[in-house]
Amino acid sequence: MGTQEIFARLRDLLVELFEVEPAKITLEANLYKDLDIDSIDAVDLIIKLREITGRRVQPEAFKQVRTVGDVVNVVYGLTQAAA
Amino acid sequence: MKALQRLNHGWRVIATGIAFVTFGLGGLVLSVTLFPLAALTSPDAATTKRRVQRLMSASWRLFVWFMKLMGILTWEVHGREKLRERGQLIVANHPSLLDVVFLISQIPEVDCIVKRAIFTNRFMRLPATWAGYIAERSAEELIGDCAATITAGHSLLIFPEGTRTVPGQPISMRRGAAQMALAAKCPLRPVTLSVSPPTLIKGQPWYHVPPRPFHVRIEVGEPIAIEPYLAMEPSLAARHLTRDLEAYFTASLQKIGDPAHTTGMAAAV
Repeated sequence: MGTQEIFARLRDLLVELFEVEPAKITLEANLYKDLDIDSIDAVDLIIKLREITGRRVQPEAFKQVRTVGDVVNVVYGLTQAAA
Repeated sequence: MKALQRLNHGWRVIATGIAFVTFGLGGLVLSVTLFPLAALTSPDAATTKRRVQRLMSASWRLFVWFMKLMGILTWEVHGREKLRERGQLIVANHPSLLDVVFLISQIPEVDCIVKRAIFTNRFMRLPATWAGYIAERSAEELIGDCAATITAGHSLLIFPEGTRTVPGQPISMRRGAAQMALAAKCPLRPVTLSVSPPTLIKGQPWYHVPPRPFHVRIEVGEPIAIEPYLAMEPSLAARHLTRDLEAYFTASLQKIGDPAHTTGMAAAV
């Protein structure tokens, strides 16, 4: 799965889970400041990311994540490691 | 008439100063007299906390009467008895610095989430610690503790706006209170506070007293059930409940005719 596809699926997830306006979701968008996602949301998001990666996602992997692009990179890294 | 008005204004500046000093020193004096005495005569820490909270409530009731006698303010409470039910999650809007004082003066035993700065303030630190008030943290860390408080039958007071309301601006709330209600599966008890004319708002110095003594109106509403939200995805439930809370308080303030939130009046503030 390429980063484009991961981004598209992540965007759907953000809209569905947090009612984020699709137009606001860019790779540079900060999850906390721009998209109003809090620490509790982050936990939900990490659980749901399993649907994209197809495997359990460790919350530790997301410690440094700030932007949508960061999430895409972490998920991409995980799918590559799994392959 | 003009001269009398100016005299009254001058007096209220002095009286407000006296009130601030009384509040700060009063808390310190209680923290080294009655509160330790309550601790010495209580079998355990939990009992101490409850007794200190009762003393706090009683002393703040005296304090608001003191301010009334000095001619600074007047107040009215609608539905006071509803605040005394135990194990409630009480949510209030936050127009002024005095909100927490007024609410706690009306509730004998209640835990309260306060901003962290209270615990570094030299006057507030000791009383807040004695009363077991909870310093604001991320909702994630707080939720477990707070849900446990309510389940154990104690009431909890939260100001979901997280900071004082900006007059004329729409009510904007953080999601923590909704997340707590959903975690504890308990209804929310809304309390609408209206201060008229607006005073002691954020960033306003204490000596800027309003043109006339101000009136505080406290209106205790009916519980907001959370059942309709439980079927939703938790992230969506918290968002919808928060939005509905904002709408509740906006409507409630407009109904009261709050000067800072009535359509068309905002410009006058």
